[in-house]
Amino acid sequence: MNVAAAAGMQDQPQTPDRGPAPAGVACLRVAGPLTAVTAPGFRARVRQAVDDYGQARLLIDLNGVTAVDAAGIAALLDARRVLEAQTGGTLVLRANAVVCRALRDTGTYAAFALWNGPGM
Amino acid sequence: MISAEHQGPDAPSQSTPPPRERGNVICRGRRVYLRTLAPADLEHLSDWVDDPFLEHMVGSEFLQSYKHVWDKSPAFFEAVLTDPTQVVLVIEASRGWPKPVGVVRLFNIHLLEGYAFLETIVADRRAMKRGFGVEAGKLISYYGVDVLGLRRIEAKVYEYNVLSMNSLRRNGFRQEGVLRQAGFDGERYWDLVIFGILKEEIEAQRQKDEVDLPLEPTEGNGRESS
Repeated sequence: MNVAAAAGMQDQPQTPDRGPAPAGVACLRVAGPLTAVTAPGFRARVRQAVDDYGQARLLIDLNGVTAVDAAGIAALLDARRVLEAQTGGTLVLRANAVVCRALRDTGTYAAFALWNGPGM
Repeated sequence: MISAEHQGPDAPSQSTPPPRERGNVICRGRRVYLRTLAPADLEHLSDWVDDPFLEHMVGSEFLQSYKHVWDKSPAFFEAVLTDPTQVVLVIEASRGWPKPVGVVRLFNIHLLEGYAFLETIVADRRAMKRGFGVEAGKLISYYGVDVLGLRRIEAKVYEYNVLSMNSLRRNGFRQEGVLRQAGFDGERYWDLVIFGILKEEIEAQRQKDEVDLPLEPTEGNGRESS
């Protein structure tokens, strides 16, 4: 939890940890709102995760996301572009009902590979 | 500049409410800045939605939805904030204006196809013809391109709303067509004029970005002949 969250600000997305990557896939966990306010930080984290792991396969766990707006979906699409620009790049999302509804409402559901299996 | 800040231009103090309560500044221009909607803004929306002049000039589905669909419910705030098909930002004058001057939004956003629709509402009549609406439209267009990845933005204007048409033209929008008698104001039908701008044209506008002078009364000629 960062300082902003400790101060009661509910609009900072939290990235508690980057969990162990199943089968060589980097994992980025995101919680809280993914909105216009937090999306810039999320984009930076995605780029950092790709740099840190030095591989182009990334699983973003959105299970803890509480709200998504257009900027949040745009950030996810941007993450997809970043990964696809890498050789063999793959982005997989683990999405809860909030995220799935936003993907459906924006017609972007089919743009992502979704995975809700165990092993996170 | 497109960024998210956690405070407005007003000097922060110990008693400053948290960002969610006063909105987060998303982008800033010379005359205005745009911030996210805050719960307290519903009070302003309640006033604006009952303004017959605004209804006549803009006919905003956003305001109509707040009044008629949501019955001015506080739940409208959350619904707007988490609606992934629109971005609603409050227009605040950078100085000299105690209350928000209006709302600007991108709606019916198609992220994959890269297009959306623009609506600018300068609700305070004293704030009109000061370039606030022009700059708000410009800032949210930049936001659409930079953050949402849009490549086209479209706007519809009543044929009699010359001020809005001139504002769009100042931002590089082009008149693309006319929807004949597509608007109804309760008494008669009016043509709707369609304006559009492409990403390259927005970038061209950004290159020649300069101070927006107040609109001259004689500027523009309203609707172009088709």
